[in-house]
Amino acid sequence: MTHSSSRRTRRRALAGVALVSAAAFALSACSGAAQGGSAGGGTTMTVFNGATGTINENWNPFSPTLLQPTLGVIYEPLFWYNLAETSEPTPLLGESWEWNEDGTELTITTREGVEWSDGEPFTANDVAFTFNLLKDTPELNTSGLAASAEATDDTHVTLTFEEPSFMQEPQVLGNQAIVPEHVWSELDDPITTINQNPVGTGAYKLKSFSAQSYLLEKNASYWEEGKPSVDEIRYISLDNADAAAAALISGQVDWMSSFLPDLDGLLADNPDLSYVNTPALTTSIFTCSNADLGCEGPQTDPAVRQAMYHAMDRDQLNQLAGGGFAATGSPTLLLPERDADWIADSANLTTPEGADTDKANELLDAAGWVLGADGVREKDGQKLSMTIQTVTGWSDYISLNDTMAQQFKAVGIELKPTQLAWNEWNDNQTKGTFQLSLDSIGLGASANPYFTYNPRYSTDNTTKVGEPSYGQNFSRYSNPVVDEAIKAAAATDDEAVQKEAYATIQEEIVRDMPYVPIYINSTLTEFNNSKVTGFPSNEDKYAFAASWKAWDNGIVLKTIVPAE
Amino acid sequence: MRFVLQKLGFYAVALWAAVTLDFLIPRLMPGNPVDQLVSKLAQKGQVTPETRRAIELLLGADLDQPLWQQYLGFWGQIARGDLGRSVAYFPASVSDMIGQTLPWTLGLIGLSTIISFLLGVGLGTFAGWKRGSWVDNLIPSLTMLQSVPYFWLALILLYVFGLILGVSPLNGGYDPWNTFPGWNWAFIQSVIYYGTLPAITIVVSSVGGWMLGMRNMMVSTLSEDYILTAEAKGIHPRRIMRAYAARNAVLPSVAGFAISLGFVVAGSIVAEVVFSYPGIGNMLLQAVNSNDYALMQGIFLVITLSVLGANLLVDLLYGVIDPRTRARS
Repeated sequence: MTHSSSRRTRRRALAGVALVSAAAFALSACSGAAQGGSAGGGTTMTVFNGATGTINENWNPFSPTLLQPTLGVIYEPLFWYNLAETSEPTPLLGESWEWNEDGTELTITTREGVEWSDGEPFTANDVAFTFNLLKDTPELNTSGLAASAEATDDTHVTLTFEEPSFMQEPQVLGNQAIVPEHVWSELDDPITTINQNPVGTGAYKLKSFSAQSYLLEKNASYWEEGKPSVDEIRYISLDNADAAAAALISGQVDWMSSFLPDLDGLLADNPDLSYVNTPALTTSIFTCSNADLGCEGPQTDPAVRQAMYHAMDRDQLNQLAGGGFAATGSPTLLLPERDADWIADSANLTTPEGADTDKANELLDAAGWVLGADGVREKDGQKLSMTIQTVTGWSDYISLNDTMAQQFKAVGIELKPTQLAWNEWNDNQTKGTFQLSLDSIGLGASANPYFTYNPRYSTDNTTKVGEPSYGQNFSRYSNPVVDEAIKAAAATDDEAVQKEAYATIQEEIVRDMPYVPIYINSTLTEFNNSKVTGFPSNEDKYAFAASWKAWDNGIVLKTIVPAE
Repeated sequence: MRFVLQKLGFYAVALWAAVTLDFLIPRLMPGNPVDQLVSKLAQKGQVTPETRRAIELLLGADLDQPLWQQYLGFWGQIARGDLGRSVAYFPASVSDMIGQTLPWTLGLIGLSTIISFLLGVGLGTFAGWKRGSWVDNLIPSLTMLQSVPYFWLALILLYVFGLILGVSPLNGGYDPWNTFPGWNWAFIQSVIYYGTLPAITIVVSSVGGWMLGMRNMMVSTLSEDYILTAEAKGIHPRRIMRAYAARNAVLPSVAGFAISLGFVVAGSIVAEVVFSYPGIGNMLLQAVNSNDYALMQGIFLVITLSVLGANLLVDLLYGVIDPRTRARS
C-alpha cells in the first residue's frame, strides 16, 4: 500500500520469523557481494520506510503523494518539533519567531549562511515566496494557511494573518518545507510538477532514482558544520514486513519500522540489531456517539461508552494483541508521559489497567440496561449489542476486537467484530455509517493538545451521518462547551489560559467518552548498527525514530555516524 | 469478406460492453479517491478540512459530475489515447505508469508462456509419437502440477528455493542494492536471476496442458490414412513425425496459444503478487487498494484490448489456416 499505511504493514507478520531469519542468513551467505553496496567507497545505508511496489517519483514538497524524504531530508522547515518527548522547537532554517499581541502577525528571523544545493544563497525572500505561493494556490494549500508574507530584509520575514492564528504556529514553523524562489518562480505548474531535480537546503540531495529504490547523497555544503557524516542513503521498496525483517537481519536494510513478532529473541541472536519503541498513537474504540446527527445503536448512550471503558482488561489486551509493547494511555486522549503538564486532573492521567466489572455493571444498571436471559443486557427492547469494525489483515486490531468481545460478555455487552476492506472501513468512518470502529488517534502538528482536541471533538470537523465528514471528528461528537473551549485555547498563546480551556474539554470528554481509549500502540523501529550508529534509543529519544516520519527522518540522518 | 465483417462487428460490440463495464465497476466500489488520500495523510500527521478541499481541487473535483457526463468524457479520453492521471501516484499519468510496469509483465509472463508452449508442444509430439515411453509417463505428473492452484505451487517453490536452499531471491524484479536499471550487463543479469524462479513456476504449472493436448492430437493424427501412406512410401520416420503428423496436430494448440498470449497481461496478477514482481498485476492491486479509478480503468483497458485483440487475430487467422471454420456453404 504505497507507503501506504506503513504503520499497519508492520503488523502483517508471518508466524515463522525464525524461519525467515534462518533463511536470511543462508541468503546473505550466498550473496556476500550484496552486503556493503557502496559504490564510491563511502558509507551507504539503506532505509525501508514502508514503501511497497512501484515507487512513483515525486519530489514536490506541496504534493500529497510526495516521496517522504522530500520533507526533512531534502527540504527543511523553519523549525522542527520533536514529538517523541517534551521539548522546544529546534531552529533549522529559522532562528527565532515572535507574535504580535493579537496573533495576526508572525515575525520570523531566518538563518544566515545557508545555501541551496545549487549554490544560491537562502534568504528570507524564499520563506516569503513559499507562503505566498501557498496562499495563491488553493490546490497546494493543504493546511488552509491564509497568510501573506513579506520579507523585510534578508533575514526577516513577516506573515500577516486575517484573524488571530496562534494555532497556525506549528504548521507554519514546523510543517512547511521552504522552497527556493529562484527555482519555483520559474515553474510552469507547481501543482503537477514532480520536481525532478529537487533543490533544497537539506542534509542530502537526490543522486539517482528508479522505481524500486532511490539514492540520496550528502549535501557537501550543508549549513550545519560537520553534518551529515553518512555519504549515501538508499530508500528501497519491499513488499511486506517479512521481506523487510529478512533484509534487516542480513544487513541489507539498516533502518525500518515494522512490528516484528519475537523481537527480543531476534535481538538476542543478532548483536548488531537494536530497536526503539515510541508509542504515540492511542488505539481507541471510535463510537458513532451522536444520536442527534443520526447515529444509531446502544453506543449513543454515554453510560454504554463508560461501561466499555471500565470493562476492558487493558493488561490482557496488551499481552494478547499489543505484544506487551503498548504503553498506558489516558482518558484525555493525550500521552501521559509527554503531556502530563497538559492534563488538568491527575485522576485522568492514565487509564485503569485491569477490568473493573463492578463499576461497569453499576453504570449499566443505573442507565436502565437490564440483563436478559441470554446474558445480554437490553433496554426498551433494544439489545446491548454492537458491531465493531476493523480492517482485514490488521491482525493486532482483530485480536483486540476478539479479546474485548470476550471481556465485555462479563458485563452483558455483546460485541460483534467485523473485518472489512480498508476502503469500506474508511468510507464508513467518514460517513458515520458504523457503530464502533477501531482506529487510533495521535501525532498532531505539535504536542499542544489543540491538535488532538480540535480535529476530533469540535463540531466544525463533523457532519451528519451519511455525509462524508470533512474533518476527523468521525464520532460525530458535538458539544458547545467543548467548541467554546477549543476556540478560547486557539485565541491565545498564553499557556495558562490554554490549560484552563483544556481542563474544561477534558472534563467533558472524559464524561462523554466518544472515543474510548484502549492503549497507546507501540511504534517499533529497528536498526542494524553494523554500518552506522547513533540512532535514537529508548534512553535518548532525540527524534521520533519511525522510518516513515517525515521531518524527523532528516534529523536522524544527519545525526547518525558511520560505525567504527 | 462477409465472414471478416461479421467478426469485426461482433468484436466491436464486445469492446463496447467491456469498456462500459470498465467504466462502471470501479465506480460501484465503496470509498472515493479523495477520502483515500486524506486518510492516508491522516495516518502520518495532521489533517484539516482544508486538506480535503485542497486535494479535491488538486485531483480536479469532477467527482460531482453526473455519471453520464463522466461516461462520455471517458470515451473521449480513450479516443484521444489519454488515460488521465493516476490518483495513487499523482501526478503521474496512467499511460506512464502502465508503460513503466508493462515491460516487466510482458517479459516475464510473455516469455514463460512462449517457453511453456514450445516445451509442451515438443514434448507432446514426442509422447504421442512414442506412446508408452518415459515422456508419455510424464504427463500425469505434469497435469497434476497444473491442477494444483498456482499460488500454492508458487509459494512452495519460493519457500524451497528461496528460503530453504537460498538459491533464488525472495522477491522483486532485480537487485536494487547493486544494480541500476538501464542497458548494462549487471542489471540484465540481475533481471534474469530474479526472473528465473517465477518463470519456472509459470512454465511448470502450465506445460502439462499443452503437452496433453498435443499428445492426444498426435495420437489421433497418427491413425489417419495419409500417415499410413507416408509410411508405405518409405519416408523417414522423423519426417513423418514432424512434417505430416505434428504439423496437422498442432493446429488447435496454435489457437490456444494465441488466446493465452492475450491473457498474458491479465493472468499475471497472482504470479506478480507472490513474487512481488514489479509488473502490471501488482500495480492493478495497488490501484484497487487506493480506489485509483483512472489507473484501474487504464489497466483493464489494456487487458481487454489485448484479450480481444488476440481473439480476433485467432479468429481471422483460423479462417485462413483452416477453411472448415469459415465454411457456411
